[in-house]
Amino acid sequence: MEISFATMIGIFISVVLVNNLVFQGFLGICPFLGVSRKIDMAFGMGCAVTFVITMAGAITWCIMHLILEPIAGRMFDDPKALNFLQYVAFIMVIASMVQLVEMYLRKCFPPLYTALGVFLPLITTNCAILGACLYIYMKPETQPFLNALIYAFGGGLGFMLAISIMAGIREHIRFSNVPKPFQGAGITLLVAGILALAFTGFTGIGK
Amino acid sequence: MTIVMAAIILFGLTLIFATLLGVAKEILRVDEDPRIEQINEVLPSANCGGCGFAGCADFAKAVVEGKAPCDGCPVGGAETAADVAAILGIEVVQTAPFRPIVHCGAKTQDKLGVVPYEGIETCVGANIVGVTQACAYGCLGYSDCVRACTFDALHMVEGRPVVDYDKCTGCGACVKACPRDLIELIPFKEERMLVVACANKESAKAVKAVCKVGCIGCKLCQRFAPDVFEVPGNIADINYEKYTGEETEEVKKVLDKCPAEILLYFGRPKLKHAEQLAAEKAATSRN
Repeated sequence: MEISFATMIGIFISVVLVNNLVFQGFLGICPFLGVSRKIDMAFGMGCAVTFVITMAGAITWCIMHLILEPIAGRMFDDPKALNFLQYVAFIMVIASMVQLVEMYLRKCFPPLYTALGVFLPLITTNCAILGACLYIYMKPETQPFLNALIYAFGGGLGFMLAISIMAGIREHIRFSNVPKPFQGAGITLLVAGILALAFTGFTGIGK
Repeated sequence: MTIVMAAIILFGLTLIFATLLGVAKEILRVDEDPRIEQINEVLPSANCGGCGFAGCADFAKAVVEGKAPCDGCPVGGAETAADVAAILGIEVVQTAPFRPIVHCGAKTQDKLGVVPYEGIETCVGANIVGVTQACAYGCLGYSDCVRACTFDALHMVEGRPVVDYDKCTGCGACVKACPRDLIELIPFKEERMLVVACANKESAKAVKAVCKVGCIGCKLCQRFAPDVFEVPGNIADINYEKYTGEETEEVKKVLDKCPAEILLYFGRPKLKHAEQLAAEKAATSRN
């Protein structure tokens, strides 16, 4: 896979709009529904996820390409021999990154830290992040480091976009006359489904 | 061989990240007052919100910052206040525990003009309708306060809420629940306190038309015991700053003479009161 500007743009648009992790991959649904009550909180969550996903994407790329594959290739003549380690290693990387973000936010942005509350440590188990890291290793176009970084950053932005749109809609739903059987979780899931349906309209753009 | 290699790689990675996090913790350390954590430990951790803060941790922070009094926890009471004060290094003045009283003593049969109400069975709902009973001030009896109580200390007895003072912690949830503001927290200087169990601000005639027991604002109590009672409008009021919970001669006289039946004792009967009650009961049964 050649490294070109066009490929990077393609990867970026693909992961933000066309193959959005939330709407097309059904990853990260828990925070997507849990923290999308207020738009500023949703945006904060999106920022935190974007940061963690980018850092985790970069570090996991390094782990796969600089540690696991060379060692496995040299010792077992099969670069994929140690691939079963990626789950454990990736989760460790993500957990460490979340800890780092938590400490940083607590030091520098205490209001955001208190607003996110329990959802901040819950990023650890946000499957969008682990999913993005695993996708990066699986997809042929994200094998170069720069492309992987763009994919990870785009994945975070896509999540931020999705959760912010959702929060905006939910802020309006609060003041609208929802039929009784759909109130609460029902209307939220319906909206999420319709949003996902709307995003399929991007299919066909890029690759 | 694969397993050994996997273990070595993971161990190495763990070591790297542990070091990274350890260093980051030192760099990004937040200097928090250690007293916040200590105070949080002596609080009841019920997170009931009775103090007015979001939870025990918030209250602990507010106490250290001087935004809340050290005896601000109504559930913990004097013991917790003393613990908190010890951590802060200050003296705590002994205060009476705040407990709720109900400003309506009308039983179901005392209320006049009660009409059948088939709406939502909550006081808030009935209060909006407004005409479920003639008295616009009295207890509606749909148990909003009972549902609000998380300590099982309120029960509906004969159409009005009765506080179980053995279980009550004074958190004030019932005060917020009552749409007619009938419940008030007062300092219980004694185990039982005298209460004006009426909130009707109308004149005597209007009160008589809606309730058999309501306060008619005759000012008799104010005349006999001006230290304790005040009648600012058409309703008697007890000055709990001056009233010590003691049954003085004047108070006894007022209790004797009051034409309405709204001066009630709330709280646990004290030992001597209990003996007195038992003696009276024995005397009546002998007759």
